[in-house]
Amino acid sequence: MAKTRKASMQLTGYRRPDGAVGVRNHVLVLPVDDLSNSAAEGVARLINGTTALPHPYGRLQFGEDLELTFRTLSGHGASPNVHGVVVIGIEPRWTDQVASAIAKTGKPVETFSIERHGDLNVINAASRVAYQMTQDASELRREPIQVSELVLSIKCGESDPTLGLAGNKAQGQAVDRLVDMGASVIFGETSELTGGEHLIANRCATPALKRRFMQIYHDYIHMIEDQGVDLLGSQPTEGNIRGGLSTIEEKALGNIQKTGSHKVNAVLDYAETVKPGQGLVFMNSSSAGAEQVTLCAAGGSVLHFFTTGQGNIVGHPLIPVIKISPNPITCSTMVEHIDVKLPDLLVGDISLDQAANRILDVFVRTANGRLTAAELLRHNEFVITRLYPSA
Amino acid sequence: MAHRALAHKSTDDVAVAVADLKAGEELNIQSLEGGKAHQIKLLEDVPLGHKIALKDLPPGHVVIEYGEKVGRMTRAVQKGGFVHVHNIRTLRWDYGKGSKAKSQRSKAKNLKKGGQ
Repeated sequence: MAKTRKASMQLTGYRRPDGAVGVRNHVLVLPVDDLSNSAAEGVARLINGTTALPHPYGRLQFGEDLELTFRTLSGHGASPNVHGVVVIGIEPRWTDQVASAIAKTGKPVETFSIERHGDLNVINAASRVAYQMTQDASELRREPIQVSELVLSIKCGESDPTLGLAGNKAQGQAVDRLVDMGASVIFGETSELTGGEHLIANRCATPALKRRFMQIYHDYIHMIEDQGVDLLGSQPTEGNIRGGLSTIEEKALGNIQKTGSHKVNAVLDYAETVKPGQGLVFMNSSSAGAEQVTLCAAGGSVLHFFTTGQGNIVGHPLIPVIKISPNPITCSTMVEHIDVKLPDLLVGDISLDQAANRILDVFVRTANGRLTAAELLRHNEFVITRLYPSA
Repeated sequence: MAHRALAHKSTDDVAVAVADLKAGEELNIQSLEGGKAHQIKLLEDVPLGHKIALKDLPPGHVVIEYGEKVGRMTRAVQKGGFVHVHNIRTLRWDYGKGSKAKSQRSKAKNLKKGGQ
């Protein structure tokens, strides 16, 4: 059986100059700040096959919050799913800072700043560069790749107890097999480990990692309590409650099922870089879908598995997000959003092993270029995590 | 035969409906991890994804699911009853008010610093 599985994992992808492997081939037009969205979107409208990442930030941020925004932006430029990047900012200094972090990968990067040129001149010059980059990208060919060259990521959203019983259990088995084959798999959702944090802590590979994990977890809880509030009313969400989840502990225990059974080999902060071969990796992150997927993509994930109970429809502009649901109501009323349907697992008509095979089959086809529901429906959510207000 | 409800462990206090269930249904509820099945007559309607009490659960009872603590009963529910936010509450933030936790924490911080 193991042999059949291995033989079926015939993957193709794009090998970048630094050896990183992607499963998509985007040309990115990256605004450094809110003021540059208009020019970036102007370029993306003119040149077929380019993707702009408009966002509302990048001005008067400082300290760790600024570093995280820069890390998120340059992480998207550095994504193995991206061939080349046109970076546009209002002024040259910060623009160059974001671009130079991307240029370390050896991929084509060009910068443009709007001050002393204006939007129209920038759009003209940047479009000519994007034109050439996109034509070059179109001549790249997929080549055979190994699972062990990939960084992947997981999350669940609009969860309900069908995930803990079925969807996340199947996803956990798929994660175990991917890690066995050498992939790195990122998980996070710091707040949604509440009630099961001890289970993750006990799976950390070393005492130092365990301490680091508990530090991140407690820092998060203290941040909540320092506001003089708690998460009642937000965790579980109204959607979770409608689906049958009653407490954060119940939600967390269901959530954790999808991480499988392997040791946690690394504990990282928001959007830090993950390399292939690290196995299962915890990344500090929000539990909000678009924020977490964005942080994983910034960390180097090239494909995301997203299990949902009630029907979270999130996608991402650069990485395919495979949507998996065991909930029969969601699979029938939101059929166009779900890539892997598992209601038969929920009632026990198929085994966990068969369900994991179904997920991995769609994984292989998606990595090889099959478009996901979220890609087809233009779910291009890109949401930068902020740590505190701007100056 | 397709399941109507499932428990994670046979020792759990609650099981989860995997179909929309009606009051009066007689259920034979198995556990994902094996062990003894529970014979339950449903006392209330329980929608897909929602929880059924596998035993009488008194107020204050710490509820076990996945073999772990998932909350505390705020009201009694009988075996076969519906368990949800109307009768179970998280054990986290169990003190009720976050501001209390904050003052307790600052107190702890002050003590660490050698304050009063």
